[in-house]
Amino acid sequence: MLKIFQRLWQVNWAEQWQYRANLIMYLLYWLVSPIIYLAVWTSIANSKGSVNGLTANDFVTYYMTLLIVDQITSNIVIHTFAYKIQDGTLSGELIRPIHPMLTNTLVNNIAFKTLPIMGFIPIWIILFFLYKPDFSNVALNGILLAIPAMMMGFFVGFLLSAAITALAFWTTRVYSIHEFYFALILLFSGQFVPLTLMPKLIQDIAQYLPFQLLIYYPIQLILGKLSNAQIVQGYVMGVVWLVVAIAIFSWVWRNGVKRFSAVGA
Amino acid sequence: MRTLKLLSAFLKVNVQMSLAYRADTVVNILLNIMWLGWELLSLSIIFNNTETIGGWGFGELIALLGVFRLVHTLMIALIWPNTEKFNQSIRDGSMDYTLLQPINSMFLVTFSRITVWRVWDLVLATVLIVVGINIAGDIVTPLSLLTFLLLTVSGAVVIYSLWIVLIALTFWFTKFDNNVTILQALLDAGRYPVTVYPVWLRILVTFIVPIAVATTVPLQALRGDLVVSRALMFIGISIASFLIASRVWKAGLKQYSGASS
Repeated sequence: MLKIFQRLWQVNWAEQWQYRANLIMYLLYWLVSPIIYLAVWTSIANSKGSVNGLTANDFVTYYMTLLIVDQITSNIVIHTFAYKIQDGTLSGELIRPIHPMLTNTLVNNIAFKTLPIMGFIPIWIILFFLYKPDFSNVALNGILLAIPAMMMGFFVGFLLSAAITALAFWTTRVYSIHEFYFALILLFSGQFVPLTLMPKLIQDIAQYLPFQLLIYYPIQLILGKLSNAQIVQGYVMGVVWLVVAIAIFSWVWRNGVKRFSAVGA
Repeated sequence: MRTLKLLSAFLKVNVQMSLAYRADTVVNILLNIMWLGWELLSLSIIFNNTETIGGWGFGELIALLGVFRLVHTLMIALIWPNTEKFNQSIRDGSMDYTLLQPINSMFLVTFSRITVWRVWDLVLATVLIVVGINIAGDIVTPLSLLTFLLLTVSGAVVIYSLWIVLIALTFWFTKFDNNVTILQALLDAGRYPVTVYPVWLRILVTFIVPIAVATTVPLQALRGDLVVSRALMFIGISIASFLIASRVWKAGLKQYSGASS
């Protein structure tokens, strides 16, 4: 099994290097909206002194950490897989003795992230000198705790996206469903603002949803803003949602594949 | 006249194409309303914590959202679908047939696909602009309204011209599939007044990928923030950029040699 993953990695990694030009565009995508939010909120915090207890530095550190966390926990399954179901190219992968989603697509996603991560290190350093954030609250144990949390977040997000992608076995409108899912992420993950600035109702709901595991929870872990009880709660939510996500994905996948009759077959 | 006739023919074809996917249209309109809800919520979250950003109030940000949606519609209803078709035609050589038509190829390439239902976005944008300006209580004079309209059009022309240049580059670098991604990536910067942004981002979205010229600038005119000479300058820039873009397009066509040859 390990050998299979190793081989898939080599293939997918080599494939990523074909699209070097895309990298610049991708980095731009990744950079623009957090920088916009950062600019908006620091300008407000500077004029007011603080926003709901958050200073300009809090916003700078939040969004600069978000750039890293989002890169690690996000995935592109819908873009690399849904069309295979729709145009039937999935057939070729289904006859292989390995799971198409949990091996090839998973490795492809990781390879896809790794190249931009290398590209963004210099950009992040430039931003660091531009904004001179004060990261003095960041402690080693926060980062160590955040690493498994981000992996958990990635897998929860990956499995949920994979389950939504697999809805393509039933409907051609899978992209619309995914757009709706994406809106939920924006609303509940902390991508737009630190969740404490959201309306109370949204905060209360967000606590129990998986989306904050992708963004808000790892960021707060890294920035050392959580009490021990909150850290434990986050991990418990992570494990619970991981189990739920596995269950949802395997159910959708099993039933979906049964319905699959490849186009042109 | 011929141009208008062609345009209405394109519209007719596109209406017919979209009628084949009625349910999709309904779903898309629902999603569109959902995003509007999200945009208004995000503005209300911002203005729960402040009265102004970059010197602009809540009403003005709503109006800016309206102007932003105009540009967004241009992007999504015209630029995306036509670029997709264009890239495909460069790859498989069907560009040959486009060039054989007895009409201006630039016009044909950029207007043959129109996502018709997005027209509804224009209505929505107008409502947002009117409501926003009313909330803000800005005094609109006939002159400021006129400059606003002129600058909105010239902003759209600037973006259209940049688009032409970007897709024309495909004639030189055939594998340039990402030609409009840079526009899309920076588009979101149009949601807020550029006065909030750090200098480098302001320069980027004003001079290099001039999203702000089509969003912040027209609204500045409507607020009466823009001196007439500046307004004339932006109109001049838009005419110049269109002329440059047509030149680049023509030069690009000379490079084109078909996919199979």
